[in-house]
Amino acid sequence: MASTQFSSITGGVFSKLENLWTGRGYTRYRVNRFEEYDLYAKNRTFITGSSILTFTDTDGRLMALKPDITLSVIKNTPNSDALRKLYYCESVYRAADISSGFSEIQQAGLECIGGLGLFDVCEVISLAARSLAALSQRYILDISHLGLLSGFLEDAGVDVSRRLELLRLAEGKNSHEAAAILGRAGVSPAVSATFDAMIHLRAPLEDGVARLSVLPLGEHAAAALSELARIARALRGTGSIYLDLSLRSDERYYEGVVMRGYIPGVPSAVLSGGRYDGLMRRLHRDAGAMGFAIYLNLLERLMPEPEALDADVLLLHDGADPEGLTRAVAGLEKDGLRVRVDRAVPEGFRYGKLMNYSGGELK
Amino acid sequence: MSDFLNVALPKGRLGDKVYALFEKAGYGCDEIADPGRKLVFESPEHGVRYFYVKPSDVAIYVERGAADIGAAGKDILLEYTPEVYELLDFGIGRCRMCVCGRPGFRDDPNRTLRVATKFTKIARDYYAGLGRSIDMIHLNGSIELAPILGLSDVIVDIVETGATLRENGLGVLSEVCDISARLIANKVSYKFKYDAVTALAARLRGTIEVQK
Repeated sequence: MASTQFSSITGGVFSKLENLWTGRGYTRYRVNRFEEYDLYAKNRTFITGSSILTFTDTDGRLMALKPDITLSVIKNTPNSDALRKLYYCESVYRAADISSGFSEIQQAGLECIGGLGLFDVCEVISLAARSLAALSQRYILDISHLGLLSGFLEDAGVDVSRRLELLRLAEGKNSHEAAAILGRAGVSPAVSATFDAMIHLRAPLEDGVARLSVLPLGEHAAAALSELARIARALRGTGSIYLDLSLRSDERYYEGVVMRGYIPGVPSAVLSGGRYDGLMRRLHRDAGAMGFAIYLNLLERLMPEPEALDADVLLLHDGADPEGLTRAVAGLEKDGLRVRVDRAVPEGFRYGKLMNYSGGELK
Repeated sequence: MSDFLNVALPKGRLGDKVYALFEKAGYGCDEIADPGRKLVFESPEHGVRYFYVKPSDVAIYVERGAADIGAAGKDILLEYTPEVYELLDFGIGRCRMCVCGRPGFRDDPNRTLRVATKFTKIARDYYAGLGRSIDMIHLNGSIELAPILGLSDVIVDIVETGATLRENGLGVLSEVCDISARLIANKVSYKFKYDAVTALAARLRGTIEVQK
């Protein structure tokens, strides 16, 4: 199993995020590393990558090393409208596929659960943007509303199986194959052109909403756009937030706003989240919920290159005068040098200068 | 993140054809004409950097961000489902993914169908769509041998002209999907190099339209 060390860079990042999140009154949520397997078995498709590490507890219960935090948070949330604002920093254990083996993934995130209003949704989006800004000066937070594309296709009379295929193609901005499917579905060229414009739309949030508002969307998509327009107005001037309708999340769990965050130098999304009222309903909760997770292990790519040298000075000695050697090393340290003391040159060791201590003299 | 647009091209004839399209679209690179022992070819005036990799590795280079864009076969995209954008169908390297076997082969629904292939995901998805249970046999090459020697009932493989199949007494039984080379882009590069990637894709699209 590959292990991700909680390195100094990710530790430093988490402390910045923690300051940001506690500044909005979010409180820390801590969990055990394992949970009863049953919780994940019932919601397996919610977890990206289907493999889960299991073991049998001393009382015979089948347990799982946590592949996800959100399910735990919901399980321990009372069925109430009262808002719970929580954040966490935990390891999760997953296998992306059979060939890659299990990995320990360091994840930090926040969850806002309860009777969510527009302010709460905007606060989560804004905290997502500010969290990315804490990771990198340049960042992009893409957001979308799942009701836009699916609502548009529903209004256009596209059948359910084709709709799913088209949403999958939209996720890859694959308009050439989408056009062929829409052609087979018998929709008008205008519908096909609007779908194409929607999946390629990419603009700062408020501009994007304005561009969408002139398209012939249909009733369901227009309702989704209206919600997004209110969010865009509330978030005016908040960071680098873009509208990108190609974002997709499992619609059995997510609905409404979804988001992904990106920073240069990391080739995949470092932040993922959205509104998961569907998952709440599956776990018999009446309230709404929204949150996001940041994959701290991906930030290792941003770590500076390792130092070219293991030490500035490699100091060899014969072991005859330990007191004098100690004084000599202290002198070098006082000059700000990193010193490795040894009796022979260690294999593969990279040093700047080779010195010898012998007969009370440093040469 | 480099200012160059890093382009992964597949080694071989397909890569040469794809590069010719880039060149016609205005993204030529003098270094490619005289490659010597170089592995990476830069065109600072057009802001692109080309490198050739094994065709099946193009999608990995793009998904992992070592390349911003690349040209990959649809067979590879369907088999490995990389997290990339598929921006354009180049319309070259056209062939078909087919179910092949002995001519006149009749699928007996009372028996599990034995399917030999290099493309296990494509085959699994195809037969799952038909609701047919199969015994998957993963092979790495010489797929046509499998039905000849009785290792499998059918094979799922790429068919270009069908000549190899005919020479071995096999034929196409059904088509799974069409295959051609596609322009793919890393999702993060697409966002941070949006103007460069979309301008290049638009010029390539224009070039392809003119050639049609």
